[in-house]
Amino acid sequence: MTSYRTFWVICGLYFLTLGFTTASGMEILKWIASKFEDFGSSLNVNRIPLYHFPDIWQNLIYISGLFKLVLSVMVVISITNEYQYRTLRQNIIDGMSRLEFVLSKVLTNVLLSLMSVAMLLLIIIVTGLIYTPDLAFADVITGAEFLLAYFLEIFAFLSYALMLGVFIQRSGLTIVVLMLSHMIEAIIKLNLFRESLNPSIGWLKQFFPLESITNLVPLPFARYAFQEIQDYVSITAIVIALTWAFLFNYFSYLKLKKADI
Amino acid sequence: METVLSINKLTKNFGKLCAVNQLDLEVKRGQVFGMLGPNGSGKTTTLGMLMGVTNPTSGSFTWFGEPATHHTRKKIGAVLEHPIFYPYLSGQKNLELNAMVKGANSANIEKVLDIVELSDRKEDKYRTYSLGMKQRLAIASALVSDPIILILDEPTNGLDPMGIAEIREIVKRIAADGKTIILASHLLDEVQKVCTHFAVLRKGKLMHSGPVDDVGKGEETVEVMAYHDDLGVLLQEFVGSGSIKKDNGIFQVMMKDGFHSQDLNKFLFEKGIITSHLMTKKKSLEKKFLEILFEAH
Repeated sequence: MTSYRTFWVICGLYFLTLGFTTASGMEILKWIASKFEDFGSSLNVNRIPLYHFPDIWQNLIYISGLFKLVLSVMVVISITNEYQYRTLRQNIIDGMSRLEFVLSKVLTNVLLSLMSVAMLLLIIIVTGLIYTPDLAFADVITGAEFLLAYFLEIFAFLSYALMLGVFIQRSGLTIVVLMLSHMIEAIIKLNLFRESLNPSIGWLKQFFPLESITNLVPLPFARYAFQEIQDYVSITAIVIALTWAFLFNYFSYLKLKKADI
Repeated sequence: METVLSINKLTKNFGKLCAVNQLDLEVKRGQVFGMLGPNGSGKTTTLGMLMGVTNPTSGSFTWFGEPATHHTRKKIGAVLEHPIFYPYLSGQKNLELNAMVKGANSANIEKVLDIVELSDRKEDKYRTYSLGMKQRLAIASALVSDPIILILDEPTNGLDPMGIAEIREIVKRIAADGKTIILASHLLDEVQKVCTHFAVLRKGKLMHSGPVDDVGKGEETVEVMAYHDDLGVLLQEFVGSGSIKKDNGIFQVMMKDGFHSQDLNKFLFEKGIITSHLMTKKKSLEKKFLEILFEAH
């Protein structure tokens, strides 16, 4: 796995984009401000506390969450390669148990999630310290719980990608299904929960797998348009997403246990 | 002798197709056991079940007298069908991974690479290997844990005569080390040359199982030639003659049970005929194999 070139390329690209995107938001703001000035109006970048503690936690983590698709494609390749090259079969023949195999893949997912968290923590601390005008310790800590939600968000999504790979076994198809899953889930929700139909079961929405992963870190930017947002991590969301993450991996194991490989 | 593998009524269905049907088999320590059968007779499926990649529909088997787990598999070196490795890793690196999975000492890697004569190319990526080298690397990976038993599935498939001879030499060398080997093949010649025991599968059913040496036993065929016009008539008078065929001027006498070439020679000598050609032909495995398959029809 570690010598597979695609792995390193994707890994490198992922962390590069993640780093650049999250770290350069301020520069983008400044650029927008300069454009505003060209038109004779002014925009005070410090009025939008994108990179100020404590806002920075949720802001950057939300943005980073969007990049998890890249990471999940890598997970899909890693699992479908095992089928394509039949190395999974040889590993089992060599004396690996099927549980050990699933665990090795899940552990890789944990590691990738942890690396993302570490990377983001570094960026947040550095950019936060640079851009926050007045530092107070309490503000720095507030919002750090989003890191935990972020970890779970990545891990649950990678577990989902792993499960798709185990069930579909072909990389191209798996990646397409992975990319369309949000849309498919949205369509199902739309059809099930048309307000006019059953207003009483709207609360069920949060139990959908991908919705539950998205709910971990809610969209923060509406607050700069003076709207109320959820600026805390909901325990319910954590519990639901955690359950799904467990189920995804358990389904992978069940499928693998029963399959002839 | 200690039983290494015991198979009991093992069955595998793929949908309606019965790939392996109520198979019973025993392999004892030190045997070089050949599994023969035409393509699609269930050899690989059987080995797949023995190695835990295919789930049996019913029946059971034991390795070393105990039910199989992934721990027992670590004591077995197996290559099923074609060699399987990570194409983007070197031979050395692939073997390191194999050794890790098997919990084997990685110091063995150098030794097994020597056995299969791949030491020169160990740093090259697996992708770049020729088919023969891939097969040899596969044997190396099966040997890396110094297993008690080695399973080879069509190890010479698709190789040129040189490659086949090389693999055969390697297998013989390993067998001489006292390892138990199960060799699945449809090359009868190969099985006859290296195996001590063999079994014949057809459509998932066991048709025959026994020592290779037994193949030559039983009735024998004697080729006779002599410069005598009435040889054919005389041969028919001999009490030990079964059927007689004439082929290219040579008589092929199928002997009755208990009669051998020397009896025939003595008979002809007493009749005053001196043979110019007298040869005992043992039945080849190929003939036996075709017989077994033919009887089944």
